[in-house]
Amino acid sequence: MSDMDEIEHLIARVALRDRNAFTELYGRTSAKLFGVVLRVLNEQALAEDVLQDVYVKIWRNAGKYRVNGFSPMTWLITIARNSAIDRKRRERGVQPRTDLDEILPDTAPGPEALAIRASDNARLMDCLNALEDGHAGAVKGAYLDGESYADLAARYEVPLNTMRSWLRRSLLKLRECLLK
Amino acid sequence: MSDHDIPKKDHDKVLAGEYALGLLPQDEAEEFAARLKAEPELRALYAAWVEDFAGLADDLPDVTPPGSVMRNIEAQLFKGKEISILARLRMWWLAGVVVAAAVVIAVFAGLFETGPRAPANPDYRADIAAEDGSLIVAAAYDAATGRLFLKRLAGRAAPDRAFELWLIAGDNPPVSLGVLPETDTAELTVRPDLRQDLGSGILAISDEPTGGSPTGQVTGPVLAIGPVTKT
Repeated sequence: MSDMDEIEHLIARVALRDRNAFTELYGRTSAKLFGVVLRVLNEQALAEDVLQDVYVKIWRNAGKYRVNGFSPMTWLITIARNSAIDRKRRERGVQPRTDLDEILPDTAPGPEALAIRASDNARLMDCLNALEDGHAGAVKGAYLDGESYADLAARYEVPLNTMRSWLRRSLLKLRECLLK
Repeated sequence: MSDHDIPKKDHDKVLAGEYALGLLPQDEAEEFAARLKAEPELRALYAAWVEDFAGLADDLPDVTPPGSVMRNIEAQLFKGKEISILARLRMWWLAGVVVAAAVVIAVFAGLFETGPRAPANPDYRADIAAEDGSLIVAAAYDAATGRLFLKRLAGRAAPDRAFELWLIAGDNPPVSLGVLPETDTAELTVRPDLRQDLGSGILAISDEPTGGSPTGQVTGPVLAIGPVTKT
């Protein structure tokens, strides 16, 4: 079994309330997810608290994973990333987006999604680097730091609407590049 | 968003990317979430972005979290496990055991001959009963004195085993109220700090080694259960 299949298998067992599988899933994935959460929050105590929240969500929602069309690490990383961003925004008094069903909706059957998935990280990086100067940083800033359009506009010292037009054009380029 | 640079056919692609990054303003995000539920094509576009962006995590270093995190997770998820078993038991209990209830009512009508006597006007009572009626204990509680009177109507502990009585209040783990003696009737004084919780709690009996649970937590199977009700 590949790592991906094994993780998938563990999530399926967690859905059946198998605590040993949960412990093993934690052992296999917590360092990755903690890396993500820590990168977003950059604060040890807060990150530990969010990681706890992440695995509670994983335990409670594992039953929804089996059919939802995402690869297992994407599912786990997205829960971790979104939980961390939500916490970061809540700390700043911004209304977070917490509905997991909206963040990870059931996309199956979704053969299109699988067909157009970038196969590897190297491809993503190539495509990001092909964007205009600074635009890759804006995409990463939004994903890994939870930066809003207002944050990005301030960082790049451009008006908000300009920032948004910019980033939207970059997203389209990125998608086209990833589809090549 | 009136964005004339983006061809109309590509709007949803871009919108899905903005949503995946969490960039959409609140109203647009809500609108997108609603569409997501209804439109499979949009879900596919969104899923592609989610997959691709997750790749941004690939380059991040792994960091092993401290052991306390898993302990906290387990405490949060599994500490109340006994309660969920009890909650399930409580459902069947509420559904039936009519016979037991009839017996219990008879008992509290004052049919005791020996041993501790049931309070004349208990404030609370509970019928702690097994699903199959193999263990039934009636409980009556006098709030003024903190005394809990127990009468065993059916069931007996196995050799070298004992029945232990537990109080479950809210989401807290069960707290031992004591080990039941082999006699049919018993009386115990509830610890002052637990009296407040008793009225809204659940009483349960588990099978434990003689002398009671060695850990202070339920170790054997939960045999009988009954919610405490005000008389």
